[in-house]
Amino acid sequence: MRTKTLTALLAALACAVLPATAAATTEKATLRASFSPDRLGASTTISFGFHVSTLEGTAPPPLTHVDLHMPAGMNYTRTQLGLSICQPEPLLQDGIAGCSPNSRLGFGKAFVEVPFGTGAGHEIPELQALMGPSPNGNLVVLFYASGLFPVTAQLTFLGEVLPDHGRFGSQLVTTVPPVASVPGGPGVSIVDVESPIGPSHLTYYKHVHGRKVPFTPQGVLVPTSCPRGGFPFTAEFGFQDGGSTTASTAVPCPPKRRR
Amino acid sequence: MKVQSFDLGSRATRLRSVLCVGAGVLLSSVAFAGAAAPSAGAAKAHAARTLSLNESGRLHLTSHHGFTLNEQGSASGTISGTIYLHLTISSTNHVTAEVNIYPSGGSLTGSASADYRVEGSLASFNGTMNIIRGSGRYSRARGSGLSFSGTVQRSTDAVNVRVSGRFSY
Repeated sequence: MRTKTLTALLAALACAVLPATAAATTEKATLRASFSPDRLGASTTISFGFHVSTLEGTAPPPLTHVDLHMPAGMNYTRTQLGLSICQPEPLLQDGIAGCSPNSRLGFGKAFVEVPFGTGAGHEIPELQALMGPSPNGNLVVLFYASGLFPVTAQLTFLGEVLPDHGRFGSQLVTTVPPVASVPGGPGVSIVDVESPIGPSHLTYYKHVHGRKVPFTPQGVLVPTSCPRGGFPFTAEFGFQDGGSTTASTAVPCPPKRRR
Repeated sequence: MKVQSFDLGSRATRLRSVLCVGAGVLLSSVAFAGAAAPSAGAAKAHAARTLSLNESGRLHLTSHHGFTLNEQGSASGTISGTIYLHLTISSTNHVTAEVNIYPSGGSLTGSASADYRVEGSLASFNGTMNIIRGSGRYSRARGSGLSFSGTVQRSTDAVNVRVSGRFSY
């Protein structure tokens, strides 16, 4: 009874605020990226994150897609990331335990804003990146977000790694599904995401002479040379209201090693 | 399956038979051989032997450099011998390769281009290969549009490769 009352109250609040969020806003975004380690030619963990807001100071409209362009020269040739494929169905049913540890690519966190929120955002503590099934032959990153409050939801969404051109060697094209704040209510806004992809904190397993042996998978390699201005990253963000914005950053060139 | 065409080769054989006829017909034979000499040369130059290649190779990583995996192994099928593969991952979904096969008495070199996809523990490639040169008995080897496919075991970088199609030499 108490839960029903709370849900109804939230829905009413959401509806009351909906016109304000539906009003035209000007979205802006900042992008973060880093390599760990940041060493030319080294196996690395790519950390990328973004923060979305509006010039008006309101919660941004729900994200619909993020296209992250990554620098040319990133070397995927020998990466062991994603030696197994995680299917969305067991992931939704059993959580991260539903997939092989060898399908994990990284994990991070996200902050979401409900339309009737304070603006500070609420943490979705579990954001997993896994190797997903690949219907088109491209690398697929399967994101899994699991939250309890303010949104009780487990959801998956896919990012596809496609070739790129010019300063960029590949792009991660991610479609973000709508996430309702309350049943029938407006969608939540993703305001901040931090999502490392790489071997840092990952343990894979292989069978050697019948024994299960843990190992750290090889990551993507940092390019062997650094362009002037650092390794460029750019992201394009699309929003449910039809708006879009772009943000760029660069990972600084690593200091030259002394011989 | 080995398919060999000896059209011009059997013509040369016939010519050799003619040249082996007795001295009584030497003059005419020489005259014939003289007339036929350019033709025999042409037959040699265009010895259009065709081989239908159906080759499998199992290779292991010997080294890697940049985006290229250097692999060595053994080829079996129509011809057998040592096979070398230089597989370059040119983008997230494309590879190029140079293939060298060393059968008895010569070698074959192919240049390949293929789509590339990663599927969990395996990556696969599928495309076409041109035979661009050869040596020894395959010194005139040429071919285009041969099928080129295979898999990469991502945990070890071991490669299985298949090449099939016809080429001339």
